[in-house]
Amino acid sequence: MANATLAVGGVIGLVLTVPVVGYLIPSKEVLASGAHWWPLNADDFAKLKTSTDPIKISFTRRVQDAYTPPVESEDYVWGVAMSDAQLAKMKAERPGLAAGPGQVTYPYVEMGYVIFSSICPHLGCKFDWKPELHKFLCPCHNSEFLRDGEHVAGPAARGLDPLPLREQSGKAEITWIQYKSAISGRIVITYS
Amino acid sequence: MLNWVEERTGIVSMTNDFLTEDVPGGASYWYVFGSATLFAMIIQIVTGIFLTFYYSPSVNTAWESTLFIYQKVNFGSFILSLHFWGATAMIALVVLHLLQVLIWGAYKKPRELQWVVGVLLFLMTLVLGLTGYLLPWDLNAYFASKVAINIAGTVPIIGQATQYFLQDGASMGTLTINRFFGVHVWLVPAVLVLLTALHLIIFRHNGGAGPPTDQPARTLKQGRFWPDQMFMDAFASFVVFAIIVGLSIWSPAPLDAKADPSNNAFVASPAWYFNALYAMLEVVPDQFSLIATVIGPGIAVAVLFLLPWLDRDPTRQLGRRKGVLGITTVAIVSIVGLSLFGQHTIDVKAAAVGQTAPTVPGGTDAAKFAAGGTAPVATTGNGEAIYKANCTACHGASGGGTPGAFPPLAKNPDVSGDAKKIEHIVLYGLNGKLTVNGADYNGQMPAWKGQLKDQEIADVINFIRTTWGNTGSGKVTAADLAKVAK
Repeated sequence: MANATLAVGGVIGLVLTVPVVGYLIPSKEVLASGAHWWPLNADDFAKLKTSTDPIKISFTRRVQDAYTPPVESEDYVWGVAMSDAQLAKMKAERPGLAAGPGQVTYPYVEMGYVIFSSICPHLGCKFDWKPELHKFLCPCHNSEFLRDGEHVAGPAARGLDPLPLREQSGKAEITWIQYKSAISGRIVITYS
Repeated sequence: MLNWVEERTGIVSMTNDFLTEDVPGGASYWYVFGSATLFAMIIQIVTGIFLTFYYSPSVNTAWESTLFIYQKVNFGSFILSLHFWGATAMIALVVLHLLQVLIWGAYKKPRELQWVVGVLLFLMTLVLGLTGYLLPWDLNAYFASKVAINIAGTVPIIGQATQYFLQDGASMGTLTINRFFGVHVWLVPAVLVLLTALHLIIFRHNGGAGPPTDQPARTLKQGRFWPDQMFMDAFASFVVFAIIVGLSIWSPAPLDAKADPSNNAFVASPAWYFNALYAMLEVVPDQFSLIATVIGPGIAVAVLFLLPWLDRDPTRQLGRRKGVLGITTVAIVSIVGLSLFGQHTIDVKAAAVGQTAPTVPGGTDAAKFAAGGTAPVATTGNGEAIYKANCTACHGASGGGTPGAFPPLAKNPDVSGDAKKIEHIVLYGLNGKLTVNGADYNGQMPAWKGQLKDQEIADVINFIRTTWGNTGSGKVTAADLAKVAK
């Protein structure tokens, strides 16, 4: 009788536990996000032509957070003008961008510009350009990156992440991508 | 291992004490109702806790997050439906438990206070049902709760203040949802758990009442709580569980379209356990409706609380309690009859306006959300709806346009002239400067081909060509559009 009681309780517990655990795991629909082109702020983008320092370029993307109404969310990326010589140097310094597990699967130089995600590849903070050091510096754990995104100091496992850039109807557009942090390769986590 | 734990905590002996309990007259399936109610309560607490992982109480998110649980959460419909059917089970079981104690005379000395706490638990369960009913914020939640709150408002003297208090304001809105959420999720469950503990502590003090005889319970043959009665309790709980699991799978909880205060055709129905009250309101003449809504239920609750003192006759033998049992029978028959009549009245009203239960969660609003809340709600054949959903942001609700950017469509010769021109613009978009009726516009018209179906584009073109004073002739068809080259 005692065992039968425990068995009945066990069955109830199991029938309840399995769906509850599934319920708590984020569903495919919750994780799903589609790639999208977002136009860059034209004034910010225009500054690239005359600046040797990286430029903070704002853009607006439409995001819907679960069941809340969609909102226009402002964010920014870093734009860097690349002369042919600078580009050759970047390619030499960062061979991982074109080969290996950290490879970027899209052309990351368009119209002579590279766009970097504003998210630090270490643990997701937002880094800033320090003109006096001529480096990008992340305030959280002091990862340092050169103008062309090369990782030179601090705990980050890879250099800055270039984003897809294109020209559409006279406007520069990017795709916003969040890569998995803290690893040397680039694994897409989400496009939102 | 057990000894090691026992030495340091005393948990093993505590559990043994808890499980060692005499069952007067032997273990019986007659004694499972209290335990089954407790089991239903546990199911409600577990599923309720997990529902709060996704539910968000506000006018903008209550319905949306509920629909989100149905549409986007693994097992969401199942967990939510368990809570829905678990509520029904808990109410049904608490009523059965109460009725059995009533019929068996188990409320009599020395169990008066155990009964009073039990009546409180019964009322708390009803409050949970009432407050939970509002939370999904669909049409039925809104109007059924509105009726309940307005009934509270009809109470003499304190009614208005009570209504403001329940709503947390002059009308129902976000604050009402939050207030009901707080009451449903924190306040009443906390009280319920404490009262349940008190109910059980008093039960252990008095011991089981045993079968309805006048022989002292201690002189009866004693059965064991563990494992004999416990097995029966567990088996009964399992049956209850199997039923609510089955119902949750094959008949998930309904969710109607989002609450729309302006809807004047919706027939709201209360939860089934309030059908008798609903029917009372129907039956009693309007000038006496306070009797149905407040006075009658108030007297019934007072009688329940005071029962051990109204019925002081110590005998528990069924044959010698004809008065109490007669009144109880009349009460049961009346409540069941009123409930059936109430349901019938609701069904007739709903049938009269052609209202049916929602076939999918979210009812007629389901698609709005499945598309992310942003995509146009395109209704083929309804050009106006397509226009409202897709075009008003730039061209205005009455086709007035946006100065400098987007041209007016009202009295626009390009709209009402040769249809070929407007067909091309809507299908493939338009860039660059444009002059309409002497004013310049420089916005960008998106290409709608592929965004809307050709038939929908035809519908919206036909709408704008014949509205706001436009006099376009000839109907545009989907076949025409297919011929328009880029």
